Amino acid sequence: MSTEPLLKIDNLTKHYVGRLSLAQRLTGERPKVVRAVNDVSFEVRRGEILGLIGESGCGKSTLGRAILRLHEPTSGRVTFDGQEVTALDPAALKDIRRRMQIIFQDPYASLNPRRTVAEIVGLPLKLHDLVSSADEMRAKVIAIIERIGLKSNQLDRYPHQFSGGQRQRIGIARALVSNPEFIVCDEPVSALDVSIQAQIIELLLELKREMGLTYLFISHDISVIGYLADRVAVMYLGEIVEMGPVDAVLSAPRHPYTQSLMSAVPDVDHPGHAQRVRLTGDLPSPLNPPTGCKFHTRCPLAVDRCRSEAPKSEDLGGGHLAACHRLHEKLSLLETA
Amino acid sequence: MSALLEVKGLRTAFETRAGSVCAVDGVDVEVHQGECLGIVGESGSGKSVTFASVMGLVRAPGRITAGEIHFDGRDLRKLSRKELRAVRGRDIAMTMQDALTALNPALTIGVQLAEVLEAHDETLPKGRKARARAIRERSVEMLGLVGIPSAGSRLSQYPHEFSGGMRQRIMIAIALACRPKLLIADEPTTALDVTIQAQVLELISDIRAKLGMSVVLITHDLGVVAEHCDRVMVMYAGQVVEEGPTAEVIGSPSHPYTRGLLGSIPRLSLRGQPIHPIEGQVPDLIDLPPQCRFYSRCAERTDACLTPIPVRQVGPHRKARCIIAGEDTE
Repeated sequence: MSTEPLLKIDNLTKHYVGRLSLAQRLTGERPKVVRAVNDVSFEVRRGEILGLIGESGCGKSTLGRAILRLHEPTSGRVTFDGQEVTALDPAALKDIRRRMQIIFQDPYASLNPRRTVAEIVGLPLKLHDLVSSADEMRAKVIAIIERIGLKSNQLDRYPHQFSGGQRQRIGIARALVSNPEFIVCDEPVSALDVSIQAQIIELLLELKREMGLTYLFISHDISVIGYLADRVAVMYLGEIVEMGPVDAVLSAPRHPYTQSLMSAVPDVDHPGHAQRVRLTGDLPSPLNPPTGCKFHTRCPLAVDRCRSEAPKSEDLGGGHLAACHRLHEKLSLLETA
Repeated sequence: MSALLEVKGLRTAFETRAGSVCAVDGVDVEVHQGECLGIVGESGSGKSVTFASVMGLVRAPGRITAGEIHFDGRDLRKLSRKELRAVRGRDIAMTMQDALTALNPALTIGVQLAEVLEAHDETLPKGRKARARAIRERSVEMLGLVGIPSAGSRLSQYPHEFSGGMRQRIMIAIALACRPKLLIADEPTTALDVTIQAQVLELISDIRAKLGMSVVLITHDLGVVAEHCDRVMVMYAGQVVEEGPTAEVIGSPSHPYTRGLLGSIPRLSLRGQPIHPIEGQVPDLIDLPPQCRFYSRCAERTDACLTPIPVRQVGPHRKARCIIAGEDTE
């Protein structure tokens, strides 16, 4: 693993600005702004799996898409292998996308129902001019399709003829056919049954080893991230609240949000072993996020300072970062932690 | 202890153009007074259809073709529609997976709660004003029970004004409005985030203890079962493959499918070790051959598995549908 990060994210921000009607504009009303991702910075090292966890609406998918410029970031910088992705013109962006791909969550919505598997998987080859003839394209598609566990005689079928797990395999083939280096895996196993989920996880790990891939693995499932990631970032309301090596963050979480997230996961092996931290209330709306620390509305440890001042991310050693005012007070919500 | 709900030999089939799909094939279920029974299985295992059949909610082309459903001493299959309607909602209630589609978007939650009380609660006073007041009081009480703050003012809100976790609570409040003896919760937390999931499951456990009702928790998450259920039934391709006390089933599973499911769960403690997915897929339920349904995916299959496999007793409280079950657990 070289020291130079493959991907560097600096102060990435993505705000969605609501549209106003003419009447609203005339009355001088301000548009509503959804602050989906707020000033996020991190690095992804070559060959690692960085897990990104958080609950729905925390901005983790938006972050994944903003990195690839599928959603144009509002501000901030994304640097991939020395090139500033956020500054590229459309032609250069297309070139770099051959090397940065994405696997989507929903294997039903992410495949065009009117295209055959051969067409879906072959499209990236055609777009990036990676093949010179139809025969060569067919051969490449067959190679990747067989690698991800489908048969070459299934190439001319349509997505509806496959099960959820098989469709996700097709989505993986499409992402990998252009021989990329970096993949954003956006909840690739969340829509699948447990036994199929395990098959896809194993496949993704095998492919990573064989092809030397780097993953940004987005999931709301802490067990999945804990199992496969090297490092993990925890997101809450558009911000990363804690980040570090999986062993450090998940076995000794320091941020109260990570602690409560960990204690909420039901454990098959030790039911009821963890002291439950019961979070009250729901995720606040990103339309109108709380002031100060964004977690203070649900945090059992919140004090006055948390309501007014946003905490800065602090290095706890060993690459373990957390953003909380009360980090050093040796407070923990978990007795076992 | 006699069972509150006893289902014997239930078969529910759906007629399709491609053939008859037997979604539930010879399922036996017992739910005792006050217990929480977990039903685990993947999509298409028949877990939801089993309980939709119990509730009499299976619609054409689906049909219950065989079996008995005894609830509190009565065979629900022999009841008239009217009699069944009286049981449903009052004695047995069900919550659905997706609260947003299960609640009526055009009616306020107050109206939806009142509907259940109007239909089933015989203790309500007869006079119009007194009745309306009693319904309102009960509605506020139910919303308070499921932890919705300032319930009085929220009765006039519509489902879309609530978050996912709140909607699930509202559905639970509606289900519990008539203090049912049995609550069937179909994937109550699948659509929810973990912190909200923990809140909702604890709520169901608390209310179960408070009201002394029985709960059937349908889920695909073995972790949820491990933490909340006394007993568990594992279903595969329309059949029960294993049944027993939760700790025993998870601690030493008898059926290769249960072992496969447990082996498929990624865990923090297993980092660096390969997980062992079950190869292949669930069989097509149309015209299944009369053999073990897990045969094609089972690592331990033998030729003896090519005949119909009955459920066997493999321990004092445990059953499994496998010819080798019980041999390696002793």
